[in-house]
Amino acid sequence: MRIQLVHVSKTFPPRQRALVDVNLEISNGELVFVCGPSGAGKSTLLKLLFREIDPSDGQILIDGRDVTRLGGRGIARLRRKMGLVFQEFRFLPALSVLDNVALAAQVIGTSKKQSLAKAYKLLKELGLEDRCDAKPFALSGGEQQRAAIARALINDPSLLIADEPTGNIGDEVAGEIVQLFLKIRDRGATVVIATHHRALIQRYGTRMIKLERGFVMDDSPEAIRMPEYTW
Amino acid sequence: MKLSLIGLVFRQVRSSLRHLCWTHLLTSVTVALTLFVFGAFMMLQVNLEQLLSAWGDQIQITAYLGRDVAPAERGALLKRIESLPEVQRVHYTSQTQAWRDFQSALGAQSGLIEGLPHDILPASVELSIKSGYRDSSTIEQLAQRLRTEKEIATVEYPQQWVERLGLIVLAVEWAKWIVGGVLFLATFFIVGNAVKLAIYARRDEVEIMQLVGASQGLIQAPFVLEGMLQGVAGAAASLAALWGVYAVMGEQTELFTALILPIGHLRFLDLERSMLLLATGWLLGAAGSIFSLRRIVKTWRGSDWAA
Repeated sequence: MRIQLVHVSKTFPPRQRALVDVNLEISNGELVFVCGPSGAGKSTLLKLLFREIDPSDGQILIDGRDVTRLGGRGIARLRRKMGLVFQEFRFLPALSVLDNVALAAQVIGTSKKQSLAKAYKLLKELGLEDRCDAKPFALSGGEQQRAAIARALINDPSLLIADEPTGNIGDEVAGEIVQLFLKIRDRGATVVIATHHRALIQRYGTRMIKLERGFVMDDSPEAIRMPEYTW
Repeated sequence: MKLSLIGLVFRQVRSSLRHLCWTHLLTSVTVALTLFVFGAFMMLQVNLEQLLSAWGDQIQITAYLGRDVAPAERGALLKRIESLPEVQRVHYTSQTQAWRDFQSALGAQSGLIEGLPHDILPASVELSIKSGYRDSSTIEQLAQRLRTEKEIATVEYPQQWVERLGLIVLAVEWAKWIVGGVLFLATFFIVGNAVKLAIYARRDEVEIMQLVGASQGLIQAPFVLEGMLQGVAGAAASLAALWGVYAVMGEQTELFTALILPIGHLRFLDLERSMLLLATGWLLGAAGSIFSLRRIVKTWRGSDWAA
């Protein structure tokens, strides 16, 4: 999926400016890290992409279509092409890990049997096959993170959006997860990741967009090598 | 909707009933309490209508015949009266029968009228009126019509009583619509709010379903089904409670009802009204869910929080 942000601003009431005149273009099949300190506007940017919130100004084009004009049905259709990994995971507490992951496939019409099989395969790939029957909150932070990633991948998304996907896990597992995201990118999907994990970004050397106080401070290929950035 | 999605809806309802049984129970109890008040009003109305109908049965017009009416003329008169659309029943009392009734009414004092001729009392015709014609103007018109018959000497009926009963019937009819309407609206808002609170408690579930791309219909369907179930369960419980109250009152107040109500005993809601109460519960549960969800989903989708 190709993403374009044209003069996008977002102000929260009463006058908190989260994003200011952001202009960006992310190509189809690109993996991009969005980084910056807390309050920089990373999560806001991601939430605008999957229309959890609306921009105060500007256009957000996904594959050339202005998603700010979509109604309820259009938003639902858009999200079915996306995989979302949230900072706070957002699981249904009454369902098992396997059912939580399978639910994302079931809501788009995949049969229960197929959904469960797909969910199990993904959980196995992410090393969670023995945690399938557990309730999400019985899992450690890292395990929940991986389960959330499994849920995001179950519908083979064209766009994967991840908010701090390596926030609760060690460097080794974080590396594995980024490797997984790279594989997804290689299959043709666009991947947008918000993260604080600076070492990880530098290790993989992909594109980095640096936000600060709502402004895009740097989106150059050199940005990744700048040692003075502290976030 | 695909079969797999219908299956998902039912699994969600089953899971919700199992895991959130206390929330569902609380909502059903609220529905039951609210519908109990509504059902009690319906029961009061049924009994009041019954009472008014019983009082109406007692309205009679008495037409006293002249002294020299031949049997053939009397027979023709009775036929004419019976054919009138307002008349429910006609009862003829001959002079002899009137004398006997008078004597028995006097009982031990009947010696006082000894020596009086037995034909001193006139023959009479008593007419009871059909329920749709018991207003004062119709009865007065009927009385005037009877007065035009040459065989009839005098016509009497309890005019004041008929007028008062007419006012009572009118007041009950208005109260039925006004109080019933207010109670229905109150029931709607209370049930709607109970359902809304139950849905608010599960906003995470709705939010997650929205974020994974579920359609509005798929998100709403389990809640609407649950609302229907809660509504019907609450209405059934309110019917059971009403039946309990009715049974206890019937036992305890048999004498009281016999004295006050000419209907003899209290009546429970008939099948039609019982079904109406169940349907009201069903409808309120479904409508409460739909309205609450629409408002909540709208609010959440437009929600803003700082990143």
